[in-house]
Amino acid sequence: MDFISNKLPQIKEMLKDLQVPNINALLQNIPETILEDPPLDDDGLSEYEGIKLMEQIAEKNNFHQLTSYLGAGAYEHHVPSIVRSIISKSGFLTAYTPYQGEASQGLLQTIFEYQSAINRLTGLDLANASLYDGASAAAEALLMMLRLKPNRSKLFVAKNLHPHYQKVIQQYIDSAEVELKLIPMTHEGLLDFKRFEKEMDDQTAGVLFSYPNFFGAIENLEPFITLAHQKGALCALSSNPMVFGLYQSAKDLNIDLVVGDTQPFGIPLQFGGPYAGYMSCKKEFVRQLPGRLVGKTQDRNGNQGFVLTLQTREQHIRREKATSNICSNQALCALASLIAILWYGPEGVQKLALTNYQRAQFLRQELGKMTQVELLSEAPIFNEFVVKLQMPVQRALDHFRLYDIEAGLDLSTFYPEMKNHLLITVTETKSESALKRYIEVAKKIW
Amino acid sequence: MVRKPKTIFEKSQEGQRAFSLPKDSKAWDSLLPPQSYLRKEKIQLPEVSEIDLTRHFSNLANLNMGIDTHFYPLGSCTMKLNPRVTEDATQFPGFKGAHPLAPKETVQGCYEVIVKLIKELCTLCGLSAGSLNANAGAQGEFVGIRMIHAYHKSLGHTHKKYMLIPDSAHGTNPASAKMCGYEVITIKSDPNTGDVDLNHLKENLSDKVAGLMLTNPNTLGVFSPNILEISKLIHEVGGLLYYDGANLNPILNVCKPGRMGFDVMHINLHKTFSTPHGGGGPGGAPVLCSAKLAPFLPTPWVHPTGDTYHVTWDAPQSIGRISSFFGNFSILVRAYLYIRLHGHYGLRKIAEMATLNANYLKHHLSFLFNVPIKTFCMHEFVVQADRFLAQKVRALDIAKRLLDYKIHAPTIYFPLIIKECLLIEPTESESKNTLDHFIQTLKTIIQEIEQDPELVRTAPHTTEIGRLDEVYAAKALDVLE
Repeated sequence: MDFISNKLPQIKEMLKDLQVPNINALLQNIPETILEDPPLDDDGLSEYEGIKLMEQIAEKNNFHQLTSYLGAGAYEHHVPSIVRSIISKSGFLTAYTPYQGEASQGLLQTIFEYQSAINRLTGLDLANASLYDGASAAAEALLMMLRLKPNRSKLFVAKNLHPHYQKVIQQYIDSAEVELKLIPMTHEGLLDFKRFEKEMDDQTAGVLFSYPNFFGAIENLEPFITLAHQKGALCALSSNPMVFGLYQSAKDLNIDLVVGDTQPFGIPLQFGGPYAGYMSCKKEFVRQLPGRLVGKTQDRNGNQGFVLTLQTREQHIRREKATSNICSNQALCALASLIAILWYGPEGVQKLALTNYQRAQFLRQELGKMTQVELLSEAPIFNEFVVKLQMPVQRALDHFRLYDIEAGLDLSTFYPEMKNHLLITVTETKSESALKRYIEVAKKIW
Repeated sequence: MVRKPKTIFEKSQEGQRAFSLPKDSKAWDSLLPPQSYLRKEKIQLPEVSEIDLTRHFSNLANLNMGIDTHFYPLGSCTMKLNPRVTEDATQFPGFKGAHPLAPKETVQGCYEVIVKLIKELCTLCGLSAGSLNANAGAQGEFVGIRMIHAYHKSLGHTHKKYMLIPDSAHGTNPASAKMCGYEVITIKSDPNTGDVDLNHLKENLSDKVAGLMLTNPNTLGVFSPNILEISKLIHEVGGLLYYDGANLNPILNVCKPGRMGFDVMHINLHKTFSTPHGGGGPGGAPVLCSAKLAPFLPTPWVHPTGDTYHVTWDAPQSIGRISSFFGNFSILVRAYLYIRLHGHYGLRKIAEMATLNANYLKHHLSFLFNVPIKTFCMHEFVVQADRFLAQKVRALDIAKRLLDYKIHAPTIYFPLIIKECLLIEPTESESKNTLDHFIQTLKTIIQEIEQDPELVRTAPHTTEIGRLDEVYAAKALDVLE
């Protein structure tokens, strides 16, 4: 099948106007040696056959009978039904980037509201229209700090930042001719202040922390931030935005710039993407912000509206001098997150964050009582935590699967030194009875 | 009365709410983090009921032009029909609920989509291997150039520091090359043919050239008849050829980038393969390459071993990771189904009909506008609105006036090398009637320019809001509620 409107009667008329015998005559610029013959034998599927094919492939994924405690940057949360209903509307789904502002006021206003909602969560002054994902947002944050401190050539990244994010950062930073240093960890997976203190100097442009860190812990970042600021460096967080419903905001922490992934709000797991990166910063940094930004404006009659602004930072105008090569944002995903954040509202975001914490903390507390289990650290957590077992994690996971539980993530795949360490994620989707069953099974097999 | 749109923040009513949450156990009440770690201020989000939230966004959706409701001939953006069957395919629980780090035996279906989509795209483009990890076109370019960089580095060719880019290229090309540490040399276009100026290209060839980034057909809709020679010239100095797949639509199964001599390329799934633009994303950008560049593809790699699929998380020569997980997976699902629905013959028909529609429009518009490139175009073409400058009417004004006639404006002032240009891409989706209506509308606007240029200069008049003051916005910088 295809979605082509014009058929033979129209084709004939159009060719007649063009005074050519057939469509091939229009392809005169293409060297004959590379011109393909039409692959006549494969004319595709009907709509029914197509959707059935996809259903069959989807059914090869057989995780459904498992209650999953996986997280690590991709979280199973309830997606409010209103989200899909809104993002499926043709005015959002089938529109392009709002370059024609007069015909895109709805889109522009939603981006403006998204920027505002992100800003309300982080507590900082402004936010951009979104970036690709949490990983590239972290990389863009470091590049931005370099632009803001052009005479400095060193960057620090927390070793307990998501290992995938660290790799994407390396990808983006590789050509920047800077020294990228990791802030080392203690054996509890927390940042080591003594070693940071030794290496932190006035050549450092910026420091990127993870809040919570990859192991789910909320660290006391205050001494790190104070020291970095004393040395004239900027401080950035990579944060699950939901954490701000419970824990100190970026503003409370005196942070300059915060990035992360809004997937936990309104975006399904969908095998890792599309998600949406966010970036929020103090207003004095706005001219070095990558990506799109929407601002208020007016027409000549004083009517108020919204428009893409500060476009002179962007690639379509500045080309190689742009603040980033980014062209799109994740508009539809950002909209999904906005709707979820608004659906929860001020009270709901707080309660959602708290219930994530309490469920995770309950499980941690109960598992921590077992003599076979050691907790990685005593630091407060958000909705993830790490336990050290007395058996290989893979064996534990296999046992749990017999009870229809995907018990967590084997950390040794990311940190080879962390043998027998299991990362467990608990969201509002895990009921009290599910958690009790986890504990029961753990007691049986650990 | 002036328009004063209320944001959702201004619609807040104390105590109203939409959310519900599963009940907590009473026993958990005492579980709280240390006081000093807690957020200090209340979150200043609006309090709104579900009906108000629904209405607010439903009404906002109606203020946008989309493909569903309007002809959208936006050049280089390939605004074709977004079939809803591909949306439906993303909603199967097996895709929607899959965790990217789930054990491989539980997500074989996801891996299958990835492997099979790469295979289809490689067949289509005449290349050997690919990765679907990049999140959008510009990131795909970045990946491709990083691979070129890694390839040269593996041969010890560290002296290669120039990336050649035609002046007609998308702005992302130079921006991506710069991010990879290359110095950009801009290659002129021949003003008569719109093709790369071969002499200027030759003048800039040297041992220090790492590669050439080319869009073919380019942003003037011109397929380069010299492509095989260009390819030979670049390869002779040890450079590699990068194909910007933004304009892949008119060459689907007509000719293949691999056979033109390209070493590496990206594809914009939201253009050629019709995944929805979503108001500016999410996109999806497969990167394909020849066998010699395959070791440098970004990780993770998914590959079949016997009857099952496996993942290689790290590879020694790979440029490494580019996105959080596997790229924009649900976009890949849509694109794969789109390809399977069409079959390879259906894809060829897309290319042919996109080319026919564009040439039909170009032919009829050549009676109304200056047309700088006279030869047949591929899927898009430029016309110039410079003959109305005497009436002080510019391309921008015509674009805005089109909005009054419920037609989305073409791309304007791009490519940068053609004065007062409109870049028009109708796509294969559109019917002859729609194209004829577009031609008629432009005729009407030209009459208006002759009779009442002020009407056009001050357009649009019937949209939600009049022409927006961009300078005011940049000055006021009012970017949050």
